Amino acid sequence: MTDPVGSAAPTEPAGVAEMPFDAALAELQGVVSRLEQGNLPLEESIALYERGVALHEHCARLLTDAELRVQRLVESAGGALRALDLTPDDAEDA
Amino acid sequence: MSHERRPPIDPERPWNDWLRPTWDDAPGEPSRPAPTSAPALGPRIRSVAEVTREIKDRLRAVPALRDLWVEGEVGQVSMSAAGHCYFTLKDDRAQLRAVIFRDERRAIPFEPRTGLRIVAHGRVDVFEQQGHYQLYVDMLQPAGLGDLALRLEAIKARLAAEGLFEAARKRPLPVWPRLIGVATSAQGAVIHDISRVLERRWPLARVVLSPCLVQGEAAPISIVAALRRLAAWRDPATGLRPEVVILARGGGSLEDLWPFNDERVVRAVASHPVPVISGVGHETDVTLTDFAADLRAATPSVAAELAVPARHDQAVALRALRARLDAGTQRSLRHARDAVTAEGRALDHLHPAAVLAGERERVGLLLDRARVAMDARLGSARTVLGRAGERLPVAARGRVVRASTSLHAARASLMALGPYATLERGYAIVRDERGGLLRDASTVAPGMLVDVRLARGGLDARVEHVRDS
Repeated sequence: MTDPVGSAAPTEPAGVAEMPFDAALAELQGVVSRLEQGNLPLEESIALYERGVALHEHCARLLTDAELRVQRLVESAGGALRALDLTPDDAEDA
Repeated sequence: MSHERRPPIDPERPWNDWLRPTWDDAPGEPSRPAPTSAPALGPRIRSVAEVTREIKDRLRAVPALRDLWVEGEVGQVSMSAAGHCYFTLKDDRAQLRAVIFRDERRAIPFEPRTGLRIVAHGRVDVFEQQGHYQLYVDMLQPAGLGDLALRLEAIKARLAAEGLFEAARKRPLPVWPRLIGVATSAQGAVIHDISRVLERRWPLARVVLSPCLVQGEAAPISIVAALRRLAAWRDPATGLRPEVVILARGGGSLEDLWPFNDERVVRAVASHPVPVISGVGHETDVTLTDFAADLRAATPSVAAELAVPARHDQAVALRALRARLDAGTQRSLRHARDAVTAEGRALDHLHPAAVLAGERERVGLLLDRARVAMDARLGSARTVLGRAGERLPVAARGRVVRASTSLHAARASLMALGPYATLERGYAIVRDERGGLLRDASTVAPGMLVDVRLARGGLDARVEHVRDS
């Protein structure tokens, strides 16, 4: 008998850690709506729940841990653009 | 010493003749008698105060000097401790001292600064203590304001005719900007004000400053270049481009803000590939850039506020989503349970008693396992142990076929939730030598043989050591 949930078993949900806030939030909203619509096979509900928890925690972490990064655009003689981090003095003036 | 020694000035005498010391009390020179014809106008020595008073009275008698407008360039400006402002007004031929008293300064929304051309209103009077005359200013405005206003209206009308300011052109701002471009001066408070607001409100964003001049004749070209750099740049590491641009400048005089009325700047804002928020000057300052921007903010700080969502609001929304996630999942589980219970009832009617008992037992087992598996996944510390359910006998399956197909789906899900699925996630089932399930370390002694069941295969193991929980 093949295990229908074998692929959902890995403990780390794929890709959540790298997701930007808006993408994670959008997916979380989708997960919640699907769960709220009901009529889902049990296993799918639980997989969705796990995914939702991972997404929620990721979003919450982004909100609490994020630090603003300020860079300055510099144009070289050839016209190429580079972004350099402002010095800590500049950045921490706030 | 006599008051009568100096003769009246004769207008007919050559000018250098006046320099001769005719009234000197040079030694040996005999004193001359005073002319007797005009004793009242006769030469006399006056005090400084008298002379100054005389000049002052004469000056005050001239109506044209009591109420006048003067245009000129502001020279040196100095501020007294009392808050009065002293400056010189000049053109290429003359200078005029001027003063604005503290009370007048408060009423005038414009400060004289060196190099500015201004038009001042006031009266000319003599400041006796210092011995000079000056303009007492009660009103001040930039010279050529009428010109500027006319030019502004002309540019505005032309650009409006092109549709540059139309509401339909305004683009919506991104809700979650990851990269925010800021065009403003690298010096000064503005970039810090903006950073401070973003740090507090949405530190998930990244800020890229594109420095430019925000004042003076070179400013328009510099601003246009800064906007162009923000349009051209792409972060090589993330591939991100600025998703919204803030064009900002602190408060200043009308001249200071003039670059933001420059047609080149206005066009660069209107044609920028991403939405532009303008935050130029103070609340009351409005420039053509504001008209062309996708959103006008009253100040640079407000522009930053408008550019990003609020962290606090998002935290609240996130908590609400989490509550719905939990509630939705619980409801989902309840539905599945109810479906299987309903199937149990259906089986009651379809099956002979003997089959029925077996079926019900199986269904009950599946439900138990489903619950245990769910609890484990929902964070319960309970260890999941149990026997795997087997497939329903073919005969029984045949008889329940008329029970809805959704029941089969539910059963398949429950099967999936059996312990094998749990094992797949890394759990193990441990039994003692008699096949009993082990749940409690205190029931096991060192040296005991145990059977460990894994997702694939199993282990015969011996207990080395027992740890208390």
